[in-house]
Amino acid sequence: MTVAVLVAVTAVVLGVLGWARGPQRAGSPSDFGAAPSATAAGDAGRPSGTAPPPSAAEPAAVRQAVPARVLVPGVGLDARVEGVGVTPRGDMTVPDDPAVAGWYRYGPAPGSPEGSAVLVGHLDGETGDLGEFAALRDVRAGDTVEVRRDGAEPVLHRVTARSTVPKDELPASAFRRTGPPVLTLITCAPPFQPERGGYTANLVVTAEPVDDPQAP
Amino acid sequence: MRPRFPVAIAASTGACALALGVAAPAMAAPSAEQETAMVSVVHGIPGMTVDVYANGDELLAGFEPGTVTEPQSLTAGSYDIQIFEAGQGPDGKPALEKTVEVGEGDAATIAAHLSADGKPQLTAFADDVSKVDAGKGRLTVRHIAAAPAVDVRAGGQPVFTGLTNPNGDSAVVDAGTVDADVVLAGTDTVAIGPAEVNVAEGAGTVVYAWGSAEDKNLALATQKFSGMDSMPKGVHAGGGGAAVSANSTTWTPGWAAAGGAVAVAGVLAARRFAGKRG
Repeated sequence: MTVAVLVAVTAVVLGVLGWARGPQRAGSPSDFGAAPSATAAGDAGRPSGTAPPPSAAEPAAVRQAVPARVLVPGVGLDARVEGVGVTPRGDMTVPDDPAVAGWYRYGPAPGSPEGSAVLVGHLDGETGDLGEFAALRDVRAGDTVEVRRDGAEPVLHRVTARSTVPKDELPASAFRRTGPPVLTLITCAPPFQPERGGYTANLVVTAEPVDDPQAP
Repeated sequence: MRPRFPVAIAASTGACALALGVAAPAMAAPSAEQETAMVSVVHGIPGMTVDVYANGDELLAGFEPGTVTEPQSLTAGSYDIQIFEAGQGPDGKPALEKTVEVGEGDAATIAAHLSADGKPQLTAFADDVSKVDAGKGRLTVRHIAAAPAVDVRAGGQPVFTGLTNPNGDSAVVDAGTVDADVVLAGTDTVAIGPAEVNVAEGAGTVVYAWGSAEDKNLALATQKFSGMDSMPKGVHAGGGGAAVSANSTTWTPGWAAAGGAVAVAGVLAARRFAGKRG
């Protein structure tokens, strides 16, 4: 709650200062937009049967186009995408190579009609190099996120929100499989506390699909 | 032929209390959820196409052996379930009849099947649709065949042992495809399979062994329940700290400095953040 208030305060400060989006993207990272709400976790109460038709229709859904590359031209992010699952400990698998993004293959794919498609990437590597997803610190509302797919047209999204949350408070809605379609990009964020294993927060960027790819 | 379950329910709305919006996501509304149960039907009696009636209303017509309906929402309550040979209902003598109670929020599957010694019977199974951890699926096996006790193996290793008709067993396993077969309990004598079973992530996969050993028509039927997924425990996408100052609570100054007051606000937020966590 404190965080939310601070985010709001920060937003007010930004407004008061008349901070404009500069061409050089100068400025520090600040969260914006509506953070993914915890309410989508309400899916938990859904009787299983009311989910999209369970079995018979599945083969079609399974053949959804797989993401191959993600680009956010406004911040210079360009990463190859590979499918990932979970580690033996139950954490989302993150590709070791900080230049590569992972798509949570158990959830929706980018371009799916429902749910949150999740892409993850390392903020930095173990050898001192920055990850491609480090560029997310500079995204602004309205930035375009393009996901190129194997065997299908690219899908375009516009960034609507960015939030920083403690790792253990990552909202379940980021992984929801039903509801309005969004693309969720996740990396790490400060604080960096080596004694606690490194970064203790996640940066979560939400982007909504663009209905008309031709729109400016 | 595909079961006419949804159609039949819609058609019977006026006649009885069976129907609520079938398959509508809006069913998640708490009030509706509390008053309804999710009911599936599996047909495991070889050689007999049937019509299924509930409280005198037709639920399923031309229901073929080896098929499983998708879960449907029914108002919680008591149902007189009658199974007729196709075209014989509702005034004829049912082949099978049983009163089934479904409580609010229940998930249940009604199986028409053969007993271990080959007599048709109806059994109601409770379906476990509780959440599973990310990366997992719930695999359930149910013995509804005219056959003795069996073991179910995955990759040649017994996973469920000593299963008898009409019982089931369940386990949460890693999602993925398993190579399964059914053997006579305690032996390597394969009764069914091998067959590939896809244990979907965040879902329930129920495999029925049905048919008759004596008639050599033992087979598997599969049922799926979705919506049991959980999010991963965490997303650890950081490395050595190159993106921050040493032991820092904020981004590397070079990235943030240009922001002036904005940066200050960010730092404050981050510090509060750290304080809260400490």
